[in-house]
Amino acid sequence: MNPSSQELLIDIRGLKTHFPLDEGVVKAVDGVDLSIHRNRTLCVVGESGCGKSITARSILQIVDKPGRIVEGSILYYRQSGMGNVEVIDLAALDPYGAAIRDIRGKEISMVFQEPMTSLSPVHTIGRQITEAIRLHMPLSKREAKAHAIEMLRHVGIPQPELRFDDYPFQLSGGMRQRAMIAMALSCNPSLVIADEPTTAVDVTTQAQILELLARLQAEHGMAVMLITHDLGVVAETADDVAVMYLGQVVEFGTVEQIFFSPKHPYTRALLKSIPTMSRRAQGRLDSIRGMVPDPFNRPQGCPFHTRCEEKIAGVCDRIAPPRITLEDGRDVRCLLYAQDIEMTPVQDAA
Amino acid sequence: MSAHLSEMSTISANGAAPLLEVNDLHMHFPIRRGFLRRVVGHVRAVSGISFSILPGETLGLVGESGCGKTTAGRCILRAYEPTSGRILYRQPDGKQVDLAPLSAQELKPYRQQIRMIFQDPYSSLNPRMTVLELISEPMRINKTVAPSEMQDRVALLLRKVGLRPEYMRRYPHAFSGGERQRLGIARALALDPHLVVADEAVSALDVSVRAQILNLLQDLQEEMHLTYLFVSHDLSVIEYLCDRVAVMYVGKIVELATTDALFSQPKHPYTEALISAVPKPNPLLRKRKQRIVLEGEVADPANAPSGCYFHPRCRYAEARCTAETPELRNVGGGHYVACHFAEKLTLRGAESVALDV
Repeated sequence: MNPSSQELLIDIRGLKTHFPLDEGVVKAVDGVDLSIHRNRTLCVVGESGCGKSITARSILQIVDKPGRIVEGSILYYRQSGMGNVEVIDLAALDPYGAAIRDIRGKEISMVFQEPMTSLSPVHTIGRQITEAIRLHMPLSKREAKAHAIEMLRHVGIPQPELRFDDYPFQLSGGMRQRAMIAMALSCNPSLVIADEPTTAVDVTTQAQILELLARLQAEHGMAVMLITHDLGVVAETADDVAVMYLGQVVEFGTVEQIFFSPKHPYTRALLKSIPTMSRRAQGRLDSIRGMVPDPFNRPQGCPFHTRCEEKIAGVCDRIAPPRITLEDGRDVRCLLYAQDIEMTPVQDAA
Repeated sequence: MSAHLSEMSTISANGAAPLLEVNDLHMHFPIRRGFLRRVVGHVRAVSGISFSILPGETLGLVGESGCGKTTAGRCILRAYEPTSGRILYRQPDGKQVDLAPLSAQELKPYRQQIRMIFQDPYSSLNPRMTVLELISEPMRINKTVAPSEMQDRVALLLRKVGLRPEYMRRYPHAFSGGERQRLGIARALALDPHLVVADEAVSALDVSVRAQILNLLQDLQEEMHLTYLFVSHDLSVIEYLCDRVAVMYVGKIVELATTDALFSQPKHPYTEALISAVPKPNPLLRKRKQRIVLEGEVADPANAPSGCYFHPRCRYAEARCTAETPELRNVGGGHYVACHFAEKLTLRGAESVALDV
C-alpha cells in the first residue's frame, strides 16, 4: 500500500465508542485506526462483538443510545469542487445537527444487513427511495421518481416501473438487498458502507450482490467499506483489509499482505480456522482456543493474549501493544513486532 | 424409480448395510385459501428424494434456502408426517423398520436412536431450565437413567462436549453461543443415539468457534460411533465434514456423490454454479476464475417449472430439458446425477484454495 499515490477519503484515528451501562462500560470500539481511500474497497473483518459494526455506525453518527464517541477523530476529506478538499471531523459533529445530516445518506450512505428490517414495511420501496433523493437533491417529485426507477434498473431489478410500487415483503431477499443498494447509491455517494450485505442471503444470491457492488464501484468510482465475517468474501472483494478484535484494528494492510503473509497471531489463527478440503486431509481444524472475552472484563495488556499461541508471558498481559507500522506499510498491533519496548518479562516480585 | 433404488442398496451393501434408506420421499404442504380454507395447491417441499446413509458416515444435504433440505431432515425425525415414501431405519439387531407410517406411540423407541442438533443455540434451549434439567430431560422422559445417577451422567456428558460440570446449575443465558451449541449437542447425545440429524448446526457461530464445534462433532463421531445427516447451506463446511454429499434443488436431489467427486468433478450444472458462487479465501483466485452468476431466482416449489426444475437458470439447457424431467441416475462409481447431459458436459469443480499460513 502506498498512501501517497491514493486519495484519502476517511481517516480514523484513535476512535473510541463506549456504551455506559448499569453493569459497567462496554468499550465496543476502543482505539480504532484505519483509513479508507477513494475508489478502493476496505473490508473490515472480525468475529461478532469485535466492534466492526459500531465503527461503521460511528462514521455516520448513528450509534444507538447509550453509546457515544468518547475519543478520537474521523477525518472526512470532502471534495468541494475545483479540486479543493475540505477536512471535516465527523466525530466532532452533533449527531442530530444539519452538518452530519447533509452527509449521511448523501455523501456517505449505508447498506444494512437485513433489508427486511431496515426497510419500512408500510411504505413502497419507490417511496422510500424517492424520500432519500428528494431530501438531498433539488428534484421535483416526477424527476425523483424517474431517477429512482433508473436506479432500480441500474441495480438489476427487472421491470422497475412495476416494482417501484411494491412493498418490501413482495420482493425476494436478493431483490430487497438490491433495492437497498439502489437507495444507498441514489445520491451518488463517495463512500458506501455495507454492513454484512450478504449474510442473510444464499450463496448464489451473494455472488450476484457482490458482482453488482463491484460493477457499481467501477462505474461510480466510490469507496466501499464492506463489513463481513466471511474471509472468502474478503479475499474476493477487498483491496485493503482491517482485522478487528475486541474493539481494535489488530492488523491493517492490503489483501495480499493479509492473506499471504499475515503478521498478527489473530489474523493467522482466523485464516487457519477456515474449513477446506485440504484441511480435511490433515484431520483437525486449527481452532482458536477459548472464546472472545466478556465485554465487561477486557483482559489487561493485549486484548488477544488470553487466546494467543505466541504470547510472551509477563509482557503481553501487561503492555497494551501500540500501533506499529511495518516496512511494507501495514499496521499491526502486536508486541512481537515492537522494537523499542522494554521486552524483559517481569518476574513476580513476590 | 424402484429399479435404480435396488441398485443403490446393492452398492452400499458392499461395505455395511445402510443405517437409513430413504425411498421416494414426498412432503407436500397444502396451501389453503378463502373462508372455507379450501386447498388450492401444494408446496412440494420435498418431491421424491431417495438416498441412503451408511453406519458411521456423514452425509451432507446441501442447497439454498427453500430447497427442502430442512424438511427432509425433519421427515426423517418424523417431526413431519411425510405425504408418501419410505424411511427405512435399520435397528441395531439388523431389522429394518419403515418410520414413515408409524404412530407417535410406535415411534417412541426410535426417537431415542435418532436425535437432532438444532441451528440456533439461542432459541432451542429453554431459558427457564438449568443445564442439569435441560440435559437430563430426555433421559428422565425415556427413563434410561435412574434419578440417583442422573447428575453423574450429566457431568459425563458435559465433559464429553468440553464444558465444565460445575456449570450444571446455571441457566443457558450464562453461556456464549458456542457453549450453548455444546449444550445442544450434549442434549442430543444424552440417549446414546445412532443417527444424529444436525440442521445447520454451525451456521450461527463465528469462524473460530465454528472450527471448535466441527472438531467436536468429528471427535464425538469417532468416540460414540455416530452417523450424521448434516444439513447445511454452507458448502465449505460440507466439504470439510462430509463423506458424501447430496445437493438439493426445489425439493429434489440433483446430485449425490462422494465429497471428493462432487467438488472436483461436479456433473450437474447447478452444483457447478453453487461451487463457483462460494467465495474462496484466496485473493489470487479472484483474477483467474470466472464466477458463474445464476440468473433469476430459485423456482417456487408450489409452482415448479416443467421438465428439469433447473432449466430456466441453466447455462446448458436444451429443448429436451423443458419437456422431460431427468431422473436421478448412476453415472458410474456411485455418482448419481439428475441431468440429461451429465455425460456430455464438462463442468468446473472447486479450485484448490490452499493457503500457506
